[in-house]
Amino acid sequence: MSKFAKQIHESDNVVTAVNECLAGDRVTVKFKGQAVEYVCLRDIPFGHKFAIRDIPAGGAVVKYGEVIGSATADIAVGEWVHTHNVRDDYKCLGKDGAPLPGQEEDKACPSRGGGS
Amino acid sequence: MQFFGYPRPDGGVGARNYVAIIPSVGCVNNLCTHLERLIRGTKAIRHDQGCLHPPADTVQVTRTLINLGRNPNVGGALVVGLGCEMAKAEEIYEGIKASGKPVDMVVVHKIGGMIDTLAAASRILVDMVGQVSAVQREPFGLDKLVFGTKCGSSDTTSGLSSNLVAGEVCRLMTANGGRFIQGEICDIMGGEYALKKLCVDPEQGEKLVDCVRDLYMRGYHVGADTRGCQMTAGNVAGGLTTLVEKALGANAKGGNQPIQATLDYGQLLPEKPGRYIMNFPGHGFENLTGSAAGGAIVHLFTTGRGAPNGHPIMPTVKLCGNAKTMRTMREHIDLDVSSVIEETESIEAAGERLYRFAVDVANGKLTKCEILNFEGMEILINGPVM
Repeated sequence: MSKFAKQIHESDNVVTAVNECLAGDRVTVKFKGQAVEYVCLRDIPFGHKFAIRDIPAGGAVVKYGEVIGSATADIAVGEWVHTHNVRDDYKCLGKDGAPLPGQEEDKACPSRGGGS
Repeated sequence: MQFFGYPRPDGGVGARNYVAIIPSVGCVNNLCTHLERLIRGTKAIRHDQGCLHPPADTVQVTRTLINLGRNPNVGGALVVGLGCEMAKAEEIYEGIKASGKPVDMVVVHKIGGMIDTLAAASRILVDMVGQVSAVQREPFGLDKLVFGTKCGSSDTTSGLSSNLVAGEVCRLMTANGGRFIQGEICDIMGGEYALKKLCVDPEQGEKLVDCVRDLYMRGYHVGADTRGCQMTAGNVAGGLTTLVEKALGANAKGGNQPIQATLDYGQLLPEKPGRYIMNFPGHGFENLTGSAAGGAIVHLFTTGRGAPNGHPIMPTVKLCGNAKTMRTMREHIDLDVSSVIEETESIEAAGERLYRFAVDVANGKLTKCEILNFEGMEILINGPVM
């Protein structure tokens, strides 16, 4: 069976697997009429991302054509991209451009169980 | 392409033809439920608000109830007041009346008790349903369509299929002169600057970012970091890595279409075609109500795991890109877009299919929510409740 991953924007450097992919699997990315094949460097669960371009440590991770976070290690093509090698840089900023209070450290809430 | 809708005196065109029973305060909900059961063709818009609010919430509740009454899916309205509440029945009545549609009012304290009010209101409704049900569907251009959108019970397929398909409908329907409402400020958090770039008026873009700041600070004041509340453990297990990624996937329901304005909760949409952002939450009950008050006649509701929510006066189209959910939650989902995940259908083709389906719903086709009588609503308040 062919395995696929989805690219959303042409400038994206990550794609999302829509099959369970195993290390060594060849995975096809169809985008704008072109089909390109990548080899997964490790297991990529359904719904998780892998890199389609090398991303250096500190480099931008791009999906939907926007920066979604920054790499905390060098990420090679085919490498799994998730919370272990990406930092969430988002802070809610005030009108003066400075972060609003309470974001000095990450205080994740427990899962709500549902969610939108 | 045309659609067949109910013409309203203010120029709006409805997909449904209800007589709405609108309580000014939650205290008279039971009375409204009795009326709805007794009189065919009516819809009770039950909510738990209308009293013991700070003034800003009374204004918001009043505005929302007026605009629900003005929604084109409503052909006529009966306002039911108690008589001592903060949201004034007279004000709601006058607000709806200005649209030119039939409207009447009963106030329990003036008539004296539920039973006599029930009798008086029933007689009013018998005449009003007779009058409203005589309105015939007529052909209109697709520029008269107003759609809202939200996502609920999302999973990884949402940002990869159903949300992108809804975004394609936003592109198609606004190109035809229609209007499109999006909101869910909690979901926009992280993607507010991407949306700000799409605002045609920089002031409206700043207002959009202000909505996110306001939500963040309200969380801060109760000791919560709203960023963390929005990103769930399930999201991370499913493959979402950052809040920005989640936000961009949610924002995709409007595609890359320019944003005309940022609206207050329950505010009536301006006449200008295009995409709008409303300051409504992700929570389904308040969210759908905000959309309906804005004037949406059909709502596009994307889901991954299968959200059953609907609204009393606004048909809600459920679309889903998860093939497993399509098997387990089939009776709740109107449109299967798992073909996008399976690479057998393009987003453009699925968008065309959703657009046609939504037009069919505007023409009178019942959605799964309507068939199952799955409906509920609430009005957003900011509190504190006194």
